[in-house]
Amino acid sequence: MADKSEHFEALMRQALDGDKRAYADLLQETARFLRPFLARHLNFSTEVDDVLQEILLSIHKARHTYDGNRPYKPWAYAIAKFRLQDHLRAHYADHLRYAVELSEVENDLQEPVTKSGMTYESISGEVEKLPPRQAEILRMMHQEGYTAKEVAEKVGMKESAVKVAAHRAYKILRKKLER
Amino acid sequence: MVNIEELVESLAQDAAVVQPAPHPFALAAKWLAAAAAYIVLSLVFSGLRPGLMAELHEPWFLAEIILLGGILVATSLSAALLAFPDLHQKRRAAFAPVVILALFALTIIFSWHADNPPAPLPVHSYQCTVSIALFALLPAAWMFYGMRKFASTHYRLAGSIALLYAFSIGALWLRLHEQNDSLIHVIQWHYIPMIAFGALGLWLGKVMLKW
Repeated sequence: MADKSEHFEALMRQALDGDKRAYADLLQETARFLRPFLARHLNFSTEVDDVLQEILLSIHKARHTYDGNRPYKPWAYAIAKFRLQDHLRAHYADHLRYAVELSEVENDLQEPVTKSGMTYESISGEVEKLPPRQAEILRMMHQEGYTAKEVAEKVGMKESAVKVAAHRAYKILRKKLER
Repeated sequence: MVNIEELVESLAQDAAVVQPAPHPFALAAKWLAAAAAYIVLSLVFSGLRPGLMAELHEPWFLAEIILLGGILVATSLSAALLAFPDLHQKRRAAFAPVVILALFALTIIFSWHADNPPAPLPVHSYQCTVSIALFALLPAAWMFYGMRKFASTHYRLAGSIALLYAFSIGALWLRLHEQNDSLIHVIQWHYIPMIAFGALGLWLGKVMLKW
């Protein structure tokens, strides 16, 4: 274990001396040990990849703050946690910005898509212009007749997330149809 | 977005000889030396307070000056450590200012109790805060400039410590320059603003040190 750990420090020392191969190996191995750490905190593999890339770029940018004499992993993890927190902060800020009351969503779901008695088919053109995930949810709920729970199972989302997505789609549609 | 392998290859192509950053102790020593030179030079031009030597025989005044110096040393060290992503793996030392600030607060409280009857208030008031703030501008600028070359993962705290460093220089200079024995005045217009500016550093750190 100690040997493996010292291996990182040795690679970083070589990298700081300008050894491109050692640097590539170090970054590959860093990505390898950080991936499970990120996967524990993030839901989607694309998200893990995005944050991992941010971290590798940050390691590259901050490599002058590592001298090769202290353990490498705590240094790399400090940067990884910092970038992960940044990502999560932005992610939750977005969620808060677009947050809706669940009771509001429930009310919407009791109503037809439009209050004027329009059929799904008559507004399907507008539905297709929605973001793909929202369009898919509306299609399944109103054309194919699935419930929110069934849609959630089919698309691999939580039921509440499906309801929120449908609610947002209704809002967009209402705005467009009221014009 | 490119995949991880492509990114690694592209970063590896950028690999060149990199000069590692100085050790945080060396960095702190450099910032301390700069602060000492700035205070000494300023005192040469502005002058020492009359009767400073006699005043230094007063135990509470001496303790106050020593602890102000302690704040300066602790904030230099802490700022240097906070400039590194992993605090150079010396987490405890990075929080040294907390201990020194607590000791300083205790000293000021005891000193306040010992100030009986209280020394008369000077005729001026906020001018001291303004003087300290103006005096601290240059150290704050060199501190933030220096710290931006590193990669702080605690940028808010780093900003706060940087401003405490700068304002402790200002407070130390004014205490050695101004003839003023009123502790209430010193607390109100020197030390409370110093701490308040330290708190402002939490915001400034986010603005200046985020990378």
